[in-house]
Amino acid sequence: MRHITSTDPWHVRLREALFGWVLDSRGLGRDAWVLFALTGWALAMPHYGSDFAVSLTLTCLMYVALATSWTLFCGSTRYLSLATSAFFGIGAYTGALLIDQFTWASVIGLGAAVAALVAVVMGSAVLHLRGTYFAVLTFGMTELIRHAVTYWEKQVTGTVGRVLTETPERDTVYLTVLGLAVLAVAVSMIVRRTRFGLALAGIGADEQRAMTLGVNTRLVKIAGFALTAAFAGAVGAAMSVRWTYIDPATVFNPFIGFQTVLIALIGGIATLWGPLIAAIVFSVLAETLRLQAPQAYLMALGLLLILCVLYLPGGLASLRWASFIAWRDDVRGWWREREAKAKRAARREREARYGVGS
Amino acid sequence: MNGHPLLEARHVTVRFDGLVAVDAVSAAFAAGELVGIIGPNGAGKTTFFNALSGVQPPTSGELYAMGQRLTGSKPHKYAGLGIARTFQTPRVFGALSVAANVDFGLQFAGRHRAGAWLLKDEDSILHVVGLAGQRDLPAAAITPSQQRQLEIGMALATRPKLLLLDEVAAGLTEAEVDSMAQLIRRLRDELDLTVIWIEHAVTTLLKYVERVIVLHQGRKIADGLPAEVVRNAEVIEAYLGDEMVEMA
Amino acid sequence: MTPLAWLELIASGLITGGIYALVGLGLNLQYGLMRILNIAHGEFLMLGAFLTWMAATVWGLNPLLMIPVSFGLLMALGIAIHRLTFKRLAATSPDLDVFEARGLMVAFGLMFLVQNFAQVTWGADLRGYDFMTEPVALPGGGQFAGNKLVLLALSLAFSAALIVVLRLTLWGKGVRALMQSPTGAQLVGIDTTRLHPLMFGAGLGLSGVAGCLLSTAYTISPSMGEPYTVTALIVITLGGFGHMGGALAGGLALGVIEAVGMHFTNPSLKSLLSYVVFIGALLWKPNGLFNKRK
Repeated sequence: MRHITSTDPWHVRLREALFGWVLDSRGLGRDAWVLFALTGWALAMPHYGSDFAVSLTLTCLMYVALATSWTLFCGSTRYLSLATSAFFGIGAYTGALLIDQFTWASVIGLGAAVAALVAVVMGSAVLHLRGTYFAVLTFGMTELIRHAVTYWEKQVTGTVGRVLTETPERDTVYLTVLGLAVLAVAVSMIVRRTRFGLALAGIGADEQRAMTLGVNTRLVKIAGFALTAAFAGAVGAAMSVRWTYIDPATVFNPFIGFQTVLIALIGGIATLWGPLIAAIVFSVLAETLRLQAPQAYLMALGLLLILCVLYLPGGLASLRWASFIAWRDDVRGWWREREAKAKRAARREREARYGVGS
Repeated sequence: MNGHPLLEARHVTVRFDGLVAVDAVSAAFAAGELVGIIGPNGAGKTTFFNALSGVQPPTSGELYAMGQRLTGSKPHKYAGLGIARTFQTPRVFGALSVAANVDFGLQFAGRHRAGAWLLKDEDSILHVVGLAGQRDLPAAAITPSQQRQLEIGMALATRPKLLLLDEVAAGLTEAEVDSMAQLIRRLRDELDLTVIWIEHAVTTLLKYVERVIVLHQGRKIADGLPAEVVRNAEVIEAYLGDEMVEMA
Repeated sequence: MTPLAWLELIASGLITGGIYALVGLGLNLQYGLMRILNIAHGEFLMLGAFLTWMAATVWGLNPLLMIPVSFGLLMALGIAIHRLTFKRLAATSPDLDVFEARGLMVAFGLMFLVQNFAQVTWGADLRGYDFMTEPVALPGGGQFAGNKLVLLALSLAFSAALIVVLRLTLWGKGVRALMQSPTGAQLVGIDTTRLHPLMFGAGLGLSGVAGCLLSTAYTISPSMGEPYTVTALIVITLGGFGHMGGALAGGLALGVIEAVGMHFTNPSLKSLLSYVVFIGALLWKPNGLFNKRK
């Protein structure tokens, strides 16, 4: 990549000034087209789809937003956050509390802001620890927040859960979540190509090395974590109106965080489109199977997560033609080895019986 | 430049759970110096570098850069002030291309620092360290000694004033060590750098540096001109052996 | 509060603390030795509890008989799990951090798997049975249900037994050597490939025993496991990773802190307190409170 000096012609300098913050614009156009096409399809859904189809797509979009924003931070830096449910719930509660007083747009914005604030506080305390401690701590914090909200509800308001009376109509919610999903994908696409994204990738590759090259890792991590939280909070605020009655158990359901992590890991933790495709697949599965046999479904998900981590740590997106070739070669090699062993064993037996040279 | 040394360590001590890796080492480095650090394995050289670059906060002691107190600051602050380093075992970003690895430093610490013409972009830097031909290969795919060259390139990309080189000549043949030393000399001369160089290839190092510091079991036991240091009895006993004296 | 009331409070804290110590020791074996952060640990405690409950209610067996059975079954399960999952992870992970992260994810999946298996098999309701519920009067005053006293005695006994085995037997010394220096231990001939699954299994076995003991005195449900996982995490954080005596002390201390805290504030704050202590401990002393190292 060239670096521009004052001796370069004016149009080159102008271009650098406008787009200099974008490190690499290759593929940006292609990605944007795909996003555009998917958005168009999703926009059309409320008009010709059945109620069930719309509900399904809504869940899809929710997980697209959650998984994409999760991957943006956690995928690059490899700090695996198990706190998505916490931020979702915080957004939901913020939304439920404020929906009577503020406009819809503000409610979403506030849900995002409160979640981001909590993330900044949490992150400042916790992000300097190693990746595993961070993951366990986010897990602990999620449970802590859930118990805290439950306790607060019991003690302060005397009830657990609140009923939402004024809710916007279905299409508004749908469009909002769609907007958030598109925003999440767009932000992902852009961040990957900026210095911020490079810093995140550097932290994931070798944090100490990145520090010695000038990256303020603490700040970058907190910013990334807050970004991911903001999306989860916004989505939570939007989705809170789907259930006319919310309580801590529903909105702080660890399943939301679990499904998000699962989708991101299976889709391909370092890629953009992997989580998106996986989000679609899993949302479909969730909405169709989960209601039939919820425990069996969750068991299958747990098993799937284990298998994915064991055999496909890069997710589906890391499946390349080369991996299939490699597997095929491995199997062939194993087969040949077996045959060779069998032949050797047979020959030894012959020699034992009839002497060498038979 | 003000009257303060470029980088100064005052009684820097680094202790790990009872093991003293660096023991009250004091040293000041002025602009433009080419200093070598030698010592037996385990003498604390790399740990000292870790302290000098902010990667390892000292247990006690102070670090100053141009009069500004740096003790306990994060490594990116050190990088921002122009202190760059390489790692003994190359730590490159394996998944990125060679050019992108060098570009990394240019995007961060090197971004707002004025750079010499030689360091104007990643291709120039690659040319300087001799990796122009490998620019698009993934960094994980080049040989270890090429990775060491890449390490130097990455450090240069931060447009430093002071370069800490940790055993960049390990595993090279004698001729290669010599070219490496010449490259280092050239970097110092043309880029106005201060270079501090840890090396085990003591003979070559002593030929090229202007000042030598000897560390032994965490303590500094000698600091001066190469010719003087090789005659230092303590240094001979600890490290060099009698052959060195005859060579110097 | 009278001294007697204090004594009762502390004693009840010790009773729960004994369980915490057992669970903490089990998790310590897994993390301290193998850096497997088994976030599903509590689920196996729950399995032990349910197995014992089944034995007691369906076949009328004395729960105390189930102690070795729970240990054995869960140890076998642990060995199988290790062989199927963590062994492969250890072979394919490029470095320790990645192994830890992947291990955590596998354990996360196990948590959902086991918890929902229990829900499917036994239903989500609370269960319980009666065992030695008559109060026993202690010398010096104070009355406790017989089952709780047995619980305390046995959990202390098992914890102490584990520590003694680790300290005094050759095999235990091997484990401790492994915890301190994996390569060094291998160099002197300690076979890590056999020891790791065994230790993982032993950790789960201890968890199962804790569950078995718990079922004698408390009600159980498929979702009971998670709080104990957190408690185990707190215990090993307080006591120091890999530090067995610290886990014992930490478990007992935590039990007492909880009992006292609940008494003076509010019982429903129990979970909140645990998590706050957990987060505080991890932030303040990532190496453990009782850890002799810096």
